[in-house]
Amino acid sequence: MASLARRRATDLVVKAISTGFAALSIVLLAWILWTLISRGLPALGPQVFTNVMAPPGGNGGLLNAIVGSLLQIVVALVIGTPIGLMCGTFLAENGRGTRIAGTVRFINDVLLSAPSILIGLFVYQILVVPFGGFSGWAGSIALAILIVPVVVRTTEDMLNLVPIGLREAAFALGAPQWKVVTLVTWRAARAGIVTGVLLALARAAGETAPLLFTSLGNNGWSLDMSRPMASLPIAIYQYAASPFEDWVALAWAGALLITVGVLTLNILSRLFLAKMK
Amino acid sequence: MNFAPDTPLDIATAVNRATPPSGQPKLKVDKLNFYYGDNHALKNINFDIPEKRVTAMIGPSGCGKSTLLRVFNRMYQLYPGQRAEGSILFDGVDLLGKGLDSTVVRSRIGMVFQKPTPFPMSIYDNIAFGVKLHESLSKAQMDERVEWCLRKAAIWEETKDRLHTSALGMSGGQQQRLCIARTIAVRPEVILLDEPTSALDPISTSKIEDLIDELKQDFTIVIVTHNMQQAARCADLTAFFYLGELIEVGVSSDIFTNPREPRTRDYITGRFG
Repeated sequence: MASLARRRATDLVVKAISTGFAALSIVLLAWILWTLISRGLPALGPQVFTNVMAPPGGNGGLLNAIVGSLLQIVVALVIGTPIGLMCGTFLAENGRGTRIAGTVRFINDVLLSAPSILIGLFVYQILVVPFGGFSGWAGSIALAILIVPVVVRTTEDMLNLVPIGLREAAFALGAPQWKVVTLVTWRAARAGIVTGVLLALARAAGETAPLLFTSLGNNGWSLDMSRPMASLPIAIYQYAASPFEDWVALAWAGALLITVGVLTLNILSRLFLAKMK
Repeated sequence: MNFAPDTPLDIATAVNRATPPSGQPKLKVDKLNFYYGDNHALKNINFDIPEKRVTAMIGPSGCGKSTLLRVFNRMYQLYPGQRAEGSILFDGVDLLGKGLDSTVVRSRIGMVFQKPTPFPMSIYDNIAFGVKLHESLSKAQMDERVEWCLRKAAIWEETKDRLHTSALGMSGGQQQRLCIARTIAVRPEVILLDEPTSALDPISTSKIEDLIDELKQDFTIVIVTHNMQQAARCADLTAFFYLGELIEVGVSSDIFTNPREPRTRDYITGRFG
């Protein structure tokens, strides 16, 4: 009986510790969100969306940074999604069990955990230096490199969830492999694949490091992808460390915008996944 | 229709209405050996499958009956490491020969699986999928084909008002009949059924058995089953497999009432398997 009492005590202690840490992480998250909302919301006036960045005291907004971010992310998505989708499809459908698939999967996993600043430096070396300047394109490509491994991983995982029987049923009707993949397995896994793309998007949206050496940032209005381009993370980085009150307030507003955007993407992806299951 | 299938009396009545085979083999299996890597799964199989008859393949798990079924439509070729030797003549053409395209073979030799496998699309599109692979039909022709095969599979009445809703919303028995309809829609000559009712309730099972009876008017049917009453009820010809060998093949009534081989008798009387 003594041992039963001891086990109960151990159980209680372990339960208390794990509950405590779970509570701690929720408190930290709530604290971050609260700080973000309490500082960001008052600064989130209409001028944030209508005015471009301006010198301190100039009633500036974040319009160019918002548009620049959207533009670079969309281009990154257009470049990164097909590559990731095709590569993930190769791993799950064509290359299953082969040595090359194992190698690709390993490299992809390395890329998945590579520090994003490294990706920024890499693109700086291969695009910015040889082509003589920072540009929106370079920023987009850096973000695309960030997106690809996420999409590869989720695509492969989601395709692996599709039962073999479904593929065999399509083959049994006389379908060639490319039709089995595009018309049946992709379709069966589409909710999961879309989730992967949304998660990748969420990751790319908040990244500063890959953009620092590539699209650099731009305080003026520009839609020219071949020139330096503004983005929200870089605007926040620039403003938050400045001594000017209105700039710091704008940084908070920008941070809130990104957080709301990423949160929305995460919720959307959960909804998609719930639909799949 | 028979709702209490598993009694000896039913076997006798079922055997009586079975049709004896005609002379024409649709598939002629000749010295077939099959390997999963080093595992010799089918050993020197020789037998004929008659046209427009139902041939059942029975035997305990692992005896090779499903393997043989998957050789007929070259399904095994999807998996490296699986290989077949010997020949299977399909209307005189060797199915294992190099020149034949697998997609063509599979359009003429269709297959229905153990578990219903509807595609994640509408009932209509489930059928159109297979048809579009091999023919280009107008909208009207496709509508006609969809109705034709759903009627053949005895599921038209249940589906005609919901053709454009997801096939995943149907019951298991309906899904399986949709899978049969989908196979018929391609207008194959042979239909392979791999334990088509083992995942279904007795009522759905009896519907599918009735359907098999109907379908042999137009198609050559090969069915793998674990249910001996089902083989006795549906099949004209029954082949008994054991440990990769074909032990005995004959008219179902003979196999079930008067088997030549003691192993067949032991199996059908439930002594092993």
